[in-house]
Amino acid sequence: MESKRKNNRFQLAAACMSGIMVLALAACGNIEEPGKNLITEEEATSKIVNLYSPMEKTIAGIDNAARSAADQTILMAEEKLGVRVDYITYTAENYQDKTYDDVALDRARNDMDDIYLLNPDTIRILGEEGKLMDLSGLESAKNLRDVVKTANIIDGKLVAIPQEVVAYGLFINKDMFDQYHLELPETPEEFLECCRVFQENGIETPVGANRWWLETFVLAQAYADLYNGGNTEAEIAALNNGETRYSDYMRPGFEFLQEMIDCGYIDAKKAYISEAIEGEGADFMAQKTPIVMAYWGAANTDTAYGKPDFEMVVIGFPTHRGQMPVMPMTGFAVGVNAEHAQDAMDTLNVLVSDEALQVYTEINRVISPSKNVEVECIPALKPLNDKIKENVYVLGSNASMNVEQWGNTCLIVRELLNGATVDECMAEFDRLQEEALKSE
Amino acid sequence: MEKRQTGKKMDKGVSLLLSVILVFCILGGVVFAVSRKISVEMSESAIQNLSESLDLIKATIEAILNKEAEYQKLMAQEIARSANPEEYIYSYDKNKTMVKISLIREGETEGVSSTGEAFTEQGLEFSSDALVNELEVSQSYMNYMGTWSYTIKCPVTKDGQNIASLYVEYTYDSLDQSLPGGFYNKKAMLYIMDAETERFVLKPKGMGERDAGHLNLTDFYRANAIEEEGLREEVTECLQNGKNLMFHHDIRGTNSLNYMWAVNGGTIYLIGYVPVEAIQQEGKTVNQNILVVVAVMLIAFFLCCLIYYFNQRQQNRIRKEQEIEREIHNRQLAEALQAAQIANNSKTMFLSNMSHDIRTPMNAVIGFTTLLAKDAENPDKVREYTKKIMASGQHLLSLINDILDVSKIESGKVVLNVEEFTLNDLVSSVDAIIRPMAKSRQQKFHVEVTGITHEHLMGDETRINQVLINLLSNAVKYTPEGGNIWFRIIGQKQRSLQYEHIRIEVEDDGYGMTPEYLKTIFDAFTRAENSTTNKVQGTGLGMAITKNIIELMGGTIDVSSEIDKGSLFRVELECRIPEGQADRRFWEENSISCILAVGGHKETCENIQALMQNVGVEVHTAYSIQEALELTENNSETSEGYQIVLMDWDTLDMDGVKAVKRMRETMSDTVPVLLLASYDVEDVEAVLRLENTGLLFKPFFVSAFKEKIVEMQAGIGKDSTEEAEEGRSLEGMYFLAAEDNEINAEILREILSIESADCEIVENGQLAVECFADSEEGKFDAILMDVQMPVMNGYDATRAIRKLQRKDAAKIPIIAMTANAFAEDEKEALAAGMNVHLAKPIDVEMLKQVIRQYVQRKE
Repeated sequence: MESKRKNNRFQLAAACMSGIMVLALAACGNIEEPGKNLITEEEATSKIVNLYSPMEKTIAGIDNAARSAADQTILMAEEKLGVRVDYITYTAENYQDKTYDDVALDRARNDMDDIYLLNPDTIRILGEEGKLMDLSGLESAKNLRDVVKTANIIDGKLVAIPQEVVAYGLFINKDMFDQYHLELPETPEEFLECCRVFQENGIETPVGANRWWLETFVLAQAYADLYNGGNTEAEIAALNNGETRYSDYMRPGFEFLQEMIDCGYIDAKKAYISEAIEGEGADFMAQKTPIVMAYWGAANTDTAYGKPDFEMVVIGFPTHRGQMPVMPMTGFAVGVNAEHAQDAMDTLNVLVSDEALQVYTEINRVISPSKNVEVECIPALKPLNDKIKENVYVLGSNASMNVEQWGNTCLIVRELLNGATVDECMAEFDRLQEEALKSE
Repeated sequence: MEKRQTGKKMDKGVSLLLSVILVFCILGGVVFAVSRKISVEMSESAIQNLSESLDLIKATIEAILNKEAEYQKLMAQEIARSANPEEYIYSYDKNKTMVKISLIREGETEGVSSTGEAFTEQGLEFSSDALVNELEVSQSYMNYMGTWSYTIKCPVTKDGQNIASLYVEYTYDSLDQSLPGGFYNKKAMLYIMDAETERFVLKPKGMGERDAGHLNLTDFYRANAIEEEGLREEVTECLQNGKNLMFHHDIRGTNSLNYMWAVNGGTIYLIGYVPVEAIQQEGKTVNQNILVVVAVMLIAFFLCCLIYYFNQRQQNRIRKEQEIEREIHNRQLAEALQAAQIANNSKTMFLSNMSHDIRTPMNAVIGFTTLLAKDAENPDKVREYTKKIMASGQHLLSLINDILDVSKIESGKVVLNVEEFTLNDLVSSVDAIIRPMAKSRQQKFHVEVTGITHEHLMGDETRINQVLINLLSNAVKYTPEGGNIWFRIIGQKQRSLQYEHIRIEVEDDGYGMTPEYLKTIFDAFTRAENSTTNKVQGTGLGMAITKNIIELMGGTIDVSSEIDKGSLFRVELECRIPEGQADRRFWEENSISCILAVGGHKETCENIQALMQNVGVEVHTAYSIQEALELTENNSETSEGYQIVLMDWDTLDMDGVKAVKRMRETMSDTVPVLLLASYDVEDVEAVLRLENTGLLFKPFFVSAFKEKIVEMQAGIGKDSTEEAEEGRSLEGMYFLAAEDNEINAEILREILSIESADCEIVENGQLAVECFADSEEGKFDAILMDVQMPVMNGYDATRAIRKLQRKDAAKIPIIAMTANAFAEDEKEALAAGMNVHLAKPIDVEMLKQVIRQYVQRKE
């Protein structure tokens, strides 16, 4: 017993002595040799790819899951190809500023960057201007779903490839609907009725809106039949050759919006100057507003509408064909005169590869553009996902239409918010269609 | 006193603890102060360092702006000299720095641009405050290329007259190329902000990574949680006055230095932050190292304390152990002293007792010898005196024997003579000695033997005998007349198959002993002293001898006693069982397989059964004659019947003769009937006269039983004892006696002459050898040899005689007669070739018996 205790004491003393020895040795190390060059040259990365995107490069995993998902795919490309992707970003300070899309157009037209993350309208414009590279030759492009390809082909060229198929829907506070015994609305009439009930119950503005996403109501009502009536190509052809008018499709949606504005279900003035989510998000999360519109990814954890304190469901926009998701196609495009064109193409090939999309889709729980990648969505998104699986949706943008839909509709809706009448708005559509027909 | 000492110790401990705490507090304070001082110095150094870095960047940007302005002035001069300024504008090919040049002639609002479009000042806001190298510079704006830009306006002067204004659009991107690829290990965050619009117009590459706050100052505040109104106001004031500002603020939980650094007189600002630890890497390391040093010192200190503590503890323990050892030692010394004193006292007392005890018989011897001389003519008186002298002499002898025994045992000289013996012999010999003693005091002597499975055992019979006689004679002595003495031998459960575990109990209902005396009863030289026991003579050594002998045999003895109620001595012994002792052959040869035991107690019957079982003989028991008769009848019908009947004389329920006759009715006359009776049995003769009957003394032993059967078979009569008596006569014998002491020689001669024998006495061994050698063969019947003699001792003489070349030299009995009475002496005598050893003083009867035994053998 005694000897054991003695041993322990010796062991302790030995450990302490070794610790002191290690410290002493560490202190003796690293002695500088006189005359030695103390500068170690950093290995310069020769390959640089400039990426124009709405967000800054982030340290993955800190704050924003959506960004870190994209960043992880960027990181993947950087590691695989040995390139450095530099982010160039722009955010409009207010509605009077140039928009992200405006700047994207300027930058692409002046060959400022290599890869651009573009919204559907800019894809359409730049594609038509021939400023975007044909991406159909990329290995990864072969895995894309047909709907994605269709939406992004201009003049026979695949000009953009997205990392996710963005689906917009209505974000509903189910608890508040249950509180007033309201069914989830299928048609515009039902939607208005819901708004009426909410307003009667003291919720003055039942729909939270911003200056960007109100066009989803319009597009859903405008093209519910076109995309789901079984005669899509013929109807688009009729629009492209002027036989039918875009304004005829658009009118019910605008009238619907007008009624909403008139009834005060939407605060038009506030919406006109509000940025996406920033204007309406706080009220929705605080359960002051029962309905907002947003894109699929916003419902996921750690994003704008993740982790609500109430039961949230995401449904399609009300149309006379029932709830309808709206799917615009954003996407990465490569400038045709990009300074680092080949590196940009290689980078994009990695960014939209199945491997990268798997990572992206798993993190963001979105619909992947690749037919080989599929993940389970969160319960709140199930109603929306079910519709998409049933192939019930409206495309927010379609490159095969000669009038760009997503951007133009957005701008014209803003006019409506700013006080223009529905007729004035329709006249704007007619003007755009005529311009398109003329240019052809 | 002790309390005061403990208090002092505690005070000492508390003050020591306080001192240690004080030292630690001082050490902690010093370390904290040093660490704090280093931190402050580091912080100042960091601010200085960052200021210099920012000044460098600022100087770089200002240099670029100045160069741009200077170059623009040169261009303006060129345009002034040009015949067609518009052509000059149109011919400009944009580069990365100057992306567009435009010209508006003096007095006009619209001019031309290198991009081919008409150019106006619309959208460009020039301020008289914002100048670069005296040229006006516009607010920052997003240009046609989608990048942040500024335009410098330069007048085109010809002959001292302003003829036009040259507008050159510069992109902020071009500044990026001249700025470092990051500073503070790329952990610093840097934006270039347009002071007027508060828009962030450039984030140089490599200047940190982030995800928000890149839009404008408000966005920067929001993203970095800079919410203090006072701070914001200070920033606004600095921006308005074109001053620099640097402040500490946590950025996402990291203490950072935030800065607003005015460039070009405050038209643009460098805005950002650097985590303090990025600047103070070495400071952190220094602080860590200080902590490590402190930790090591603390560990070392605690180790020292620990070592000191253990050392102290060890010392204390050793000291305590030493103290305990010393105490034990002192106690032992005290005990030894006390023991020595007691021993001394005992010995003194013993000597005094012995002196008294020896003097008393000696007094009798001398006194009676005097009387003898006086009354020599009166044969009756002579006989009476000699009888008393003899008794006194015997007492003296036993006294001397006891003393010798004690001294031998104490000096470890006792050697046990382990041989086979039978309990039967042991009990018989003890009974033979004690029973007459008890009888003389009208005491009842009870002998009980139970539970014994083996009666042949290995042991020193003589010594066991000595012990038993000692205990029993004590019992007789210390029990008043008419009392009872019980002698029990009880077989215990065997602990090992090779050993018989026996308990011997000696109980009496005598005087008993006091508890105080019980404590010292086994000590030598002590003896119970009270008015009663003083009547009894004793050496006071008996119990000490007894205990020592028992312990020598590996046994134990204990005693319990109560005054006037009696005493009980209990001896536990384990005796080895000799191999192959169960003599089954005898019983088989005599066809004895089943016997009947009649009457007696249950224990007695069980004892008989147990003993007989070992030799393969079945024992049936009947507690009455009637029961015995039934058994006999049944047994004769079913088998060969009983070969022997044992009848307990003491418990027979009818007259003995009658009982035997009744038994005879149911079985053959040839079946022996043995009466089992105590030694003091009376009125048994009538039964013994019946045919085939015999007497067997209790307790029952197989060996005695066997002997009796043999005796009955051989028909040996009751006269054998008388014959033995006759055989012991020494009449007509002639001995050679070697004895140097004349008195002894005389005594010997007289004794032999009484027995009608004669002897030739020589003075030493040498003479004895010569005498024997010269004598005729057969002249001497035996040689009586003293051992200690001058010239040649008895042993050498014996060896010499045995070596003589005569027929009777080897055969003649040589009897050692010596005062050397120890067992070793006896051994040596036998080894020298003597036949037997007799201790002096000579017991005439013993001498006669021995001589007769050996001389008969010779015959």
